[in-house]
Amino acid sequence: MAQRNTFKEDEELEEKLNIHDLKRVVRYLGPYKALIAKILVAVITMSLCAVAVPYMMKIVIDDIIPNKDMTKLGILAGVFFCLIIVYEVCLRYRTMEIMRVGQLMLKDMRRDIFTHIQTLPFSYFDSRPHGKILIRVVNYVNTLSDTLSSGLISVISDVFTLFVTLIIMFVVNWTLALWSLILVPLLIIWVRVLQYFQRIAYQKLSNKQSNLNAYIHESIAGVKTTQTFAREKQQYKIFQEQQGSVRDHWMKAVHIQFLMWPGVQTVSTATLAFVYFLGVTHFGGVGVTTGVLIAFTGYLNNFWNPIINIGNFYNQLITASAYLERIFETMDVKPEITDRPDAKPIAPIHGKVDFNDVVFRYEEGGRNILNLVDFHVEPGQTIALVGPTGAGKTTIISLLSRFYDVSEGSVEVDGKDVRDVTLNSLRRQMGVMLQDTFVFSGTVKENIRYGKLDATDAEIVAAAKAVSAHEFIEELPQGYETFVEERGSTLSAGQRQLIAFARVMLADPRILILDEATSSIDTRTEEALQAGINKLLEGRTSFVIAHRLSTIENADKIFYIDRGQIMEQGTHAELLAQRGMYWRLYESQYAMLKVNEAELKKA
Amino acid sequence: MYVTPTMKDQAKGPLRWIWPYAKPDAGRVIAAFFLFAIEKVLILAIPIITGLVVDEVIVKGEHEKLMPYLGALIAISAVRVFIRYGYQMFMERFGQNAVYRLVSDEFEKLHTLDFSYFNHTRIGDIMSRMTSDTDAIRHFLSWVTYNVGDAIVMFGSALVVMYTIDWRLALALTAVTPIIFVLARLMAKNAHPIFYAIRNSLARLNSMVEENIEGNRVVKAFVREDYETEKFDEHNDDFMDKNMDLAANNAKYIPWLDGFSFGLQLILIIFGGYLVLSGNMSLGALVTFDGFLWMIENPLRQAGWLLNDIQRFNASCIKIRRLLNVTPRVQEAEGEPEDRIKGDVEFKDVSFAFPDDPKHPVLSDINFKILAGSKVGILGETGSGKSTLVHLIARFYDPTFGEVLIDGKDAERWPLETLRSQVAIVMQDTFLFSDTIEENIAFGAQRQTGDRPDEHFIRHMAAVAGADDFIRAMPQGYNTIVGERGVGLSGGQKQRLSLARALADDPSILIMDDTTSAVDMETEAEIQTHLREMAGQKTVFTIAHRISSIKDSDLILVLDRGRIVERGTHEDLVAAHGRYWEIYRKQLGLQAGVGTFPDSEEEPNRQDGSEAAVTDGSAEGHSGSSATGAVGGSTESSTDVDGDGGRH
Repeated sequence: MAQRNTFKEDEELEEKLNIHDLKRVVRYLGPYKALIAKILVAVITMSLCAVAVPYMMKIVIDDIIPNKDMTKLGILAGVFFCLIIVYEVCLRYRTMEIMRVGQLMLKDMRRDIFTHIQTLPFSYFDSRPHGKILIRVVNYVNTLSDTLSSGLISVISDVFTLFVTLIIMFVVNWTLALWSLILVPLLIIWVRVLQYFQRIAYQKLSNKQSNLNAYIHESIAGVKTTQTFAREKQQYKIFQEQQGSVRDHWMKAVHIQFLMWPGVQTVSTATLAFVYFLGVTHFGGVGVTTGVLIAFTGYLNNFWNPIINIGNFYNQLITASAYLERIFETMDVKPEITDRPDAKPIAPIHGKVDFNDVVFRYEEGGRNILNLVDFHVEPGQTIALVGPTGAGKTTIISLLSRFYDVSEGSVEVDGKDVRDVTLNSLRRQMGVMLQDTFVFSGTVKENIRYGKLDATDAEIVAAAKAVSAHEFIEELPQGYETFVEERGSTLSAGQRQLIAFARVMLADPRILILDEATSSIDTRTEEALQAGINKLLEGRTSFVIAHRLSTIENADKIFYIDRGQIMEQGTHAELLAQRGMYWRLYESQYAMLKVNEAELKKA
Repeated sequence: MYVTPTMKDQAKGPLRWIWPYAKPDAGRVIAAFFLFAIEKVLILAIPIITGLVVDEVIVKGEHEKLMPYLGALIAISAVRVFIRYGYQMFMERFGQNAVYRLVSDEFEKLHTLDFSYFNHTRIGDIMSRMTSDTDAIRHFLSWVTYNVGDAIVMFGSALVVMYTIDWRLALALTAVTPIIFVLARLMAKNAHPIFYAIRNSLARLNSMVEENIEGNRVVKAFVREDYETEKFDEHNDDFMDKNMDLAANNAKYIPWLDGFSFGLQLILIIFGGYLVLSGNMSLGALVTFDGFLWMIENPLRQAGWLLNDIQRFNASCIKIRRLLNVTPRVQEAEGEPEDRIKGDVEFKDVSFAFPDDPKHPVLSDINFKILAGSKVGILGETGSGKSTLVHLIARFYDPTFGEVLIDGKDAERWPLETLRSQVAIVMQDTFLFSDTIEENIAFGAQRQTGDRPDEHFIRHMAAVAGADDFIRAMPQGYNTIVGERGVGLSGGQKQRLSLARALADDPSILIMDDTTSAVDMETEAEIQTHLREMAGQKTVFTIAHRISSIKDSDLILVLDRGRIVERGTHEDLVAAHGRYWEIYRKQLGLQAGVGTFPDSEEEPNRQDGSEAAVTDGSAEGHSGSSATGAVGGSTESSTDVDGDGGRH
């Protein structure tokens, strides 16, 4: 078992801001290029309208008032009114469409990450708290929303305004314009230094948030256990520590992030003072008239506003990159088990299964979980796997459905290596009834239908009847339409197993795998179920793992598995005759129930 | 709890509701307010200085004043930005602290809720309440507050200045503001349900993804990735649609709000221009008005967005308050935790039905009494109420009628902490935390001492539960970290770990709810021997399907549809020839494989070689045992499989 990730563990940090992450984000904008172009047109139109306002004021002051021209004032008012209309129409468009682009992008990103995690192996889910996966699909993606939609687009319009202003400044007085850029390098240094620390701070913060989320998730999922042990206080303490740590890192991060604005503001004021100084003292070959100087200081404001906005955007981007990284990192986890490029769908399976000297270990150089397992099963046979827990029984069936790949040797179904066929076609023909029965929130009917999505109601009832689930389902308040909650928390464990059984029954798989399928079912139900199981086993290759020997005695072959190897194999009778491990197991079980003959005789 | 919700709170507005959480940081808000006020004064000073530079230095040519003015300009600006930085930090800390208290309360509240709440509430939904909803509140407290303040101060002071310059123009400008106010109110009113819908949609999305992650094994086993993606798309689309509803609401109102704000410029130009032209106002006054106009325009333009933020805050408050106001059905008894429970248990006329389904009693008229140190076995069909019965002992539910007495005292009068720390249930759904095996076993024991019990103790407990061997076989042994819920371990391993965890808690009453169902019988026998040795004075309840697990009990209860149909010791019940006896015989039959057992005479160990015959005989003797018929049937069909499936 590999070392796992818990809520206490931080994940690794990357030092540099990864430019590839940004490129990947931009790729998400790709499909919406046309829409973005339209929005940009609207945004630029809006900036032009906004720029026109001071100009109109200038006309009023310089032209209309000295000339006492009432008609011109009227015309100007009309033009202004039209400008407002144009501006607001554009604003309406922008409000709607920016949201659309942003949401579409997030939707695509969320979907990509969701579909990606569907391809990841069990080990991915087993090796980290589920809260950490959840936060990536939902919360992290949401944090990007503002940055990537409105942020990005207003930055483009800001850059536009910045350039227009710069051009005007250079046209008005290029020496003064040059001089007024002198402090920009200082600003860049400030921003770069901050960026370095801010990035680290946000990475740490996102880590802590991920840990907190994992802890919250686990606490809610395990709240019954906590209550059972009356350990609420300790859990609360750990929670507060986790939350406190998020708060501290948050404060650190904003302490750095919020320093950006004071820097920009101070540099801008200093530049303004410097321009006054130059204008007044004519230092550095600057010769300007008073009018030009005052106009120029006006433009300086127009110059700094977009810079502040761009700075803020950059700030957000740094923040977002901490989350983006986590998102892309998840998308980059390679599914261990994938179709080969030349994989073909497997034909309807007859049911011949061969394990050829299979060796399996979780990681290279690790312990062999299975060691040279070799067996051959004919179509239609029922194979029982017995042996102590942890012997490798579940691993064998996981290899058969190709949830893992063998380390050495091969697994063949109908003579085809499972690695040469498509996963989809293989797994669709296998029915696995797992130890952990999972019931989704939804109606009982929907849960059974999970086995065959196009099943009719009659088929569902038939499947339920076959596994003796019909009776209890009918007794539920709304029968098959009864809504069961997540994990089926309102059902008993045995009832959940019956539903899961019906699901497999409905799926009508070619190869059937029952992994401790009846452990929580009472004797009477099990007995009734037995007929259903026997029907299910008929005519298809089946693998049965069970501790109750009653379920397995009738198997065509029994494998006794211990320490990753098949120690004994044969029929029930053969194995008993061998007087080996199986025989001992059988005897011990029998001893447990040793009949007190006297008792029965009394009866 | 930082704040105990009372009935009175329910009527409070969101601001008054949140205040108690924020109150301890009131000092920060006051400090922030002072800094805020100073900053506003300094902001006014900046245009005054630049005005002086223009008037005195540039126009009048008093060059010697240039450097002092510029110095003052830079200095004031620098002081101002850092003052602003200061109050921003105060407000951030303020918001963080308030949310810290709020989420802590949510967490604490959650742990006081009973099983019926969790049976009906999705994890993803609770998670949204503890993460995205609280974030909306933090955003409101740390950011929206001072931005609203900013807007009001700016708007107010600009208004004052304008009225002192020319009241007619100022009046014309302010005439527009009521319209803006009405529009903003309308927009906010419409936005409220949308925000509520958005956060609900998010909670559903969250729940769906959460369930998908939890159920990933089933998804893969049935190759339902595409189906899951379809489901996900539905929720993903819905979330986007809800956000687009918000955009539509914004697009409906924002341009009007913005247009009217923009209109202020128009009014300034027309009416101001007219006033100047008609000689009623000076040109200078018009220019000054123009200079101040942005101070009323900006707040008005922002009003829509700020109101949106406030609505988001309101919507989130509702959800959080709903969680905090849930009244758990199981209420804590008054009184200090006591030391030790002896372990007498008595059920007196106990009936129980789930609150959402009161017509179907899960338990009816349960009566039994046992003394400390007894062993009780409970047998019954799937769904017959076994788990519910034992859950009543630890008060995870309270009985609908009757009472459960622990040491002669109503369970409802025991402090919950005492009760639950002395009653350990090994649940059917084993839950392990993603932590090391050692930490998991020590989970309950840590409560008493505060620090972890020593390694030796943990190992001993694991050994009693039959877990030591497989744990030691793992590469990292007791330091192996198990996945959430114990994924990656087999069912039997999980069960043994949770048994070890319960034993390490040293309870007076130990309840094992089908704890060994996935454990092989050999190991189970070992565990039982160990338990017998160590149990001593512990009262032990065992729910099981295998007779072997409970046959040594002092009292065996057979449940059927929530009623005790048989009770007694193994011997009594076998002699009674009732349901227990029937099950017992079936298990013997199934165990021995009635039909396929090889020649029994060859089995020297079997003193009861005639067992199969005895079973058959008694089946004949026992009238109307339809279940026995089923045994025969199943045996037959198994033989069929044997016959045509395996051998050709």
